[in-house]
Amino acid sequence: MNILEIKNLVKDFGGLRAVDTLSLSIEKGQILGLIGPNGAGKSTAFNCIAGVYPPTGGEIYFAGEKINRRKPWDLCKKGLARTFQIVKPFSSKSVLYNVMVGSFATTDKTAVAEEKALKVLKLLYFEDKKDERAGNLTIGERKRLEIARALATEPKILLLDEVMAGLRPAEVDEMVQIIQKLRDQGITIFVIEHIMRAIMALSDRIVVIHFGKKIAEGSPQEVASDENVIKAYLGDEYVVS
Amino acid sequence: MTRQNINRFALTLVGVVAFGLPLVLRSPTYLHILILLYLYAYFTTSWNLVGGFAGVLPLGHAAFVGIGAYTSTILSLQYGVSPWLGMIVGGILAAIAGVLIGLPTFKMRGAYFALATIAFSEGIRVMVENIDYLGPFKLNGPSGFQIPPKNIGLVNYMFIGKEPYYYIVLVMLIGVLAFTYFISRSKLGYYLNAGGEEPEAAMALGINVARAKLIAMAMSSFLTALAGTFYAQFTLYIHPKSVISLDLSFEIAFIALIGGRGSIAGPVLGALLLRPVSDFSRIYFGATLPGLHLIIFGTVLVLVMIYQPRGLQEPLTRAYNRLLDKIIGQTAQGKVRHEYS
Ligand SMILES: Nc1ncnc2c1ncn2[C@@H]1O[C@H](COP(=O)(O)OP(=O)(O)O)[C@@H](O)[C@H]1O
Ligand SMILES: [Mg+2]
Repeated sequence: MNILEIKNLVKDFGGLRAVDTLSLSIEKGQILGLIGPNGAGKSTAFNCIAGVYPPTGGEIYFAGEKINRRKPWDLCKKGLARTFQIVKPFSSKSVLYNVMVGSFATTDKTAVAEEKALKVLKLLYFEDKKDERAGNLTIGERKRLEIARALATEPKILLLDEVMAGLRPAEVDEMVQIIQKLRDQGITIFVIEHIMRAIMALSDRIVVIHFGKKIAEGSPQEVASDENVIKAYLGDEYVVS
Repeated sequence: MTRQNINRFALTLVGVVAFGLPLVLRSPTYLHILILLYLYAYFTTSWNLVGGFAGVLPLGHAAFVGIGAYTSTILSLQYGVSPWLGMIVGGILAAIAGVLIGLPTFKMRGAYFALATIAFSEGIRVMVENIDYLGPFKLNGPSGFQIPPKNIGLVNYMFIGKEPYYYIVLVMLIGVLAFTYFISRSKLGYYLNAGGEEPEAAMALGINVARAKLIAMAMSSFLTALAGTFYAQFTLYIHPKSVISLDLSFEIAFIALIGGRGSIAGPVLGALLLRPVSDFSRIYFGATLPGLHLIIFGTVLVLVMIYQPRGLQEPLTRAYNRLLDKIIGQTAQGKVRHEYS
């Protein structure tokens, strides 16, 4: 079953077509990678799915239901969570407070929210930072906080927008492991990533977009050896092994 | 001795002093000053539900003071309704007004929101000044109402000495502080803080930010209006320039910003610091320099915003915690950890 399905999605910003008749679908429990050069329209596609922008055209289905003009908070309550490429922590609050805001999506009780938040922090090896002010975190920790908050809402599908950008190699490896762990728990993952090593290791399938249009789709190997992709996106400096 | 015990002890001590003060302090002038101090702490704490937690800067809360004062006064003078009942009616009307004002304005950010709230409250003041009758209700234009001191007693919310007023406003203040404490630890408190700080992230985490703000606005305007009734019954004289004045709206915001908005102690601290300035500048310079207190507030605000942008509450809390560490350290001789909440 497809948990998320996008048909001919279009998003215009004035005269600029950021997403151009994009169609794709994700099966439950899969990890789908979305790649493409800077400005290809990846984040815009995410924002349309998550209800931040109303699509100019096309249809978006989540668990069989059309969600085109649904509000972000409704979608979150339905089980669609996302992170932001440019992290948006509640800086003046502690890490625990930040994650508890997410936990409240499924409970009204503060004690329950705290308990759930602590569980999420543990899952992400983040407990030791729970009393740290979010504004004092390193970039890697902030990305992790983005995931923790989204995860605390108990999503069915998680949209990750470049959560590895700016991380050190060791942190990238840890993040890959974390994402695999989430998938093993039954969460479907839709991930935008620039770090090839990570996206190749993670994804069941990859969709490549360029100027808002899909130019390739398939397994990591298929995509990596696709001529269009190499020309449009990877360039010569990438060697796929 | 644990931290919690000391906190409890300190709170109890403050409570005992506050309740016992009128037994020692017999001067009506000082009682009057204290009553106004508590009243402003109450106003600011109510304001803080929106202005502090929800991260916007409302500058028209005097409108709700006015709605509370006028509603209970009109109902009691013209219909013989007890001001206690009128107080609740005024609160409900103010909550409705708050939601109506919030609906279009919460979409605006920063200065635009502040300006819009000023416009609304000034609009209400000008209307009241120019309307003699609103349907069957006499508003009495710019002259407002004198409340004749007849039928003195609890039912009519009217007393001879200052002490009863002192205790009423003290209980109201404690009530609103307890309420704020409760809200700040509830889902709504988390939602308001999140929506105020990073609305986009908050929405993505399942928060209808506009709705949370409207709920806070309704509560804030309701609570503010209750104190409007208190003001009317305490001074027995209300008119548009006294209860719906920008002066009042600004003073509330000054107290909050200087004390530290978004914290529970901030508004009380701000009132403790600024009310005496306000009173003494009025007593000593009222005739020669009537706006002096606002100029002093402005200067203090600039300094506080430069050196303590989160208000004076922050350094004082830190100092208090350090003091606690010392006390605990001496008794337990253990290591003490600081915690964020
Ligand atoms: N809110 C916006 N208003 C106008 N143009 C935008 C907006 N968001 C993105 N764009 C434009 O849309 C295109 C796609 O951007 P984006 O989706 O962020 O790309 P990616 O995430 O693939 O790097 C870019 O040309 C960008 O400048
Ligand atoms: Mg992007």
